[in-house]
Amino acid sequence: MIIKSFPLLTIIFLFITSFTMPLFKKDVISKRLSFITLSISSVISLISVIYIKFNGEIYYRVGHWDAPWGIELHVGIIEGIIGLVFTSVATLAIWYSMFSLERSMKERIGFYYLLINILIGSLLGIVYTNDLFNAFVFIEVSTIAACGIVVIKNKKENIKAALKYLILSILGSGLVLMGIAFIYSITGNLNMTFIHNELIKIHGQYQSTVLITLVLFTIGLGVKSAMFPLHTWLPDAHSNSPASASAILSGLVLKAYVFLLIKILFRVFGLEIISQYPLLDLILILGSAGMIMGSVLAILQRNIKRVIAYSSVAQMGYIFYGIGLGNELGLAMAIYHIIGHALTKSTLFLSVGSIIEQTGNHKLTDLRGVGKEMPVTLSIFTIGAFSMVGIPILPGFISKWYFALASIEAGKLLYLGVILASSLLNALYYFPIVINSFFGEENLKGRVYMSKNKPLKELVPVLVLTLLVFLIGIFNKGIIDAIRLDLF
Amino acid sequence: MQGIITNYFETGAIILFGVGFVTLLLHNNLIKKIIGMNIMDTAIFLFFISKGYIEGREAPIVKEINATKEGFVNPLPTGLMLTGIVVAVSMTAFALALTIKLYEKYGTIELNEIMKMRSD
Amino acid sequence: MNSKILFEVSRLVIPFIQVFGAYVILHGHLSPGGGFAGGTIIGASLILYRVIYGKTEAEERLTYSKLLSLMCISLIAYGILKGYSFITGGSHLEVFNIPIGTPGKLLSGGLILPLNICIGIVVSVVIYFLFKLFYEGEI
Repeated sequence: MIIKSFPLLTIIFLFITSFTMPLFKKDVISKRLSFITLSISSVISLISVIYIKFNGEIYYRVGHWDAPWGIELHVGIIEGIIGLVFTSVATLAIWYSMFSLERSMKERIGFYYLLINILIGSLLGIVYTNDLFNAFVFIEVSTIAACGIVVIKNKKENIKAALKYLILSILGSGLVLMGIAFIYSITGNLNMTFIHNELIKIHGQYQSTVLITLVLFTIGLGVKSAMFPLHTWLPDAHSNSPASASAILSGLVLKAYVFLLIKILFRVFGLEIISQYPLLDLILILGSAGMIMGSVLAILQRNIKRVIAYSSVAQMGYIFYGIGLGNELGLAMAIYHIIGHALTKSTLFLSVGSIIEQTGNHKLTDLRGVGKEMPVTLSIFTIGAFSMVGIPILPGFISKWYFALASIEAGKLLYLGVILASSLLNALYYFPIVINSFFGEENLKGRVYMSKNKPLKELVPVLVLTLLVFLIGIFNKGIIDAIRLDLF
Repeated sequence: MQGIITNYFETGAIILFGVGFVTLLLHNNLIKKIIGMNIMDTAIFLFFISKGYIEGREAPIVKEINATKEGFVNPLPTGLMLTGIVVAVSMTAFALALTIKLYEKYGTIELNEIMKMRSD
Repeated sequence: MNSKILFEVSRLVIPFIQVFGAYVILHGHLSPGGGFAGGTIIGASLILYRVIYGKTEAEERLTYSKLLSLMCISLIAYGILKGYSFITGGSHLEVFNIPIGTPGKLLSGGLILPLNICIGIVVSVVIYFLFKLFYEGEI
């Protein structure tokens, strides 16, 4: 059946079309090409999700070799949904950038879209693959593409941020490759399913090796997905890039790495093996620290994009918290939070990006009274902020609620306080922004109602994203059930 | 102790990995950081290839048609590390290019001096 | 560089280097070597040409846009050929069987030969671009 090869087809299609872009002289063509290819791939992802929903998960061999010798893709319902979210968020971000990219950068627009296509293709590869070394290659490709996107504005801060990001990423991928070397040396396989079968038999003999491998994978992928004490590259990298790039970097790139970590922990090793080591407790503690400290650091910032970037650190903390709980509900909620946060954070970054474009201000103090000038954009921002804080119906609330239930289920009642404190801290920095920009009195003089609002056609992608945020929140039951059914 | 001596390839690889890791993390000079990264990657290649090497066997090139697998070393780690080397080369080139750009903009490649020049 | 010896020797040597690179690329499936090794050899000959003949003449012959489009076309060709093989192999379709080949025959290697040529082109251009990046500061 050709439909089974749709996940692979998406990746190959994105890679091939990205290299057609330098052949055209005009930037407009590569813009449209990128948008069209990304929307085609989101349609393809939707079809494959529907196919998987009715026919069950896909194990797809790449090329003419069967599983342990050749590369294999595994696409279950979780991978399908995450792939759909990735492609659709990227499509909307590119749609947004079609109107506004020229305002933040003048040259190398064709290369920007080339890098975006490569980045999305490699992220899909990380999500779909069932082979560890293949995952490593995709990690490296996505790292180079992400660093290229950060540096593409060619300003002082961008180069500094990209170099910081690159060095820490290289560190992370070195650790991951070492982990793969260790695991290959004790199991003799690279395919995740086969490694799991092998590890169940032999993990008793190689306890210290398994522990070292677990730590290497956790730290290596933790650096890339901004686990709390290793997040130092994130605010610079995410706040200096163009708005659509920030949305993709913060909404999608971090999520792919954390999803790979989930796959490695729970599919390659399995809960029985990890629960013999104190690793999950470590992840839980680091996640909780991230939830608190990310918010505290966000309160101290003055630049609005840096506030949102630090809020990403806190939200990644939630995902690690869900992994660290170590029960089924916590893991399902971690994956639900990946989806919800990908949509919410890209909404926030795109709306803030359009505020910065229209007014030229990025300091929090200058944004007072902006709500009078651009009410639609600010309402979208408010919805995103409400979701982050945890107002009911929105996905942020759903994940916090179920995280609380999961920690009760795991018997870790103390950690309920962390969720509560983190929500309060979230409110502490999001609400002042919203309140000051809607009702900030002192700057209101001389401002005209809706004077700086963007034309509606440029706001359509952000509105669609907001709609998706609501839909994810309303249909949470179905999504969480689908995730729990397919959990490893 | 006996294990360390018999597995001297792995021991050397781990020591090299540590050297590279510390150089990458602790040095302020960006060129030294990149050198540290290269040492780290090379250590991993050594480790990986030593996993596929079997004493007294040949490189996996088929000369006679009926050669069996008992005569050859494991070719898979070598193939994987070929990919790894390509990735490491491109990473190095990218990092060096960024370093040149950084030097043009800031006038120094010491990371602690660059971090002092904060511009908000 | 204005040295008569360099000019004459390089004019003699560069074609041989390139022929050797082409040999390594084309015999990748029969002997050690292949697209990557052969591509580096051809890239080295391009670098030699650039160093000896200087910037203006090298850029006249090896223009940026020409090399870039050559590289992109080879990448696209690689993607399409390999993607065809991946997808037909993965979904058990045998629409057009690619021959597996007989050992020792140059032209019977199926897809390996065109793929090696694509890799050779990409690698030689990339090596030349890397050299230019560090020698001149920009591509």
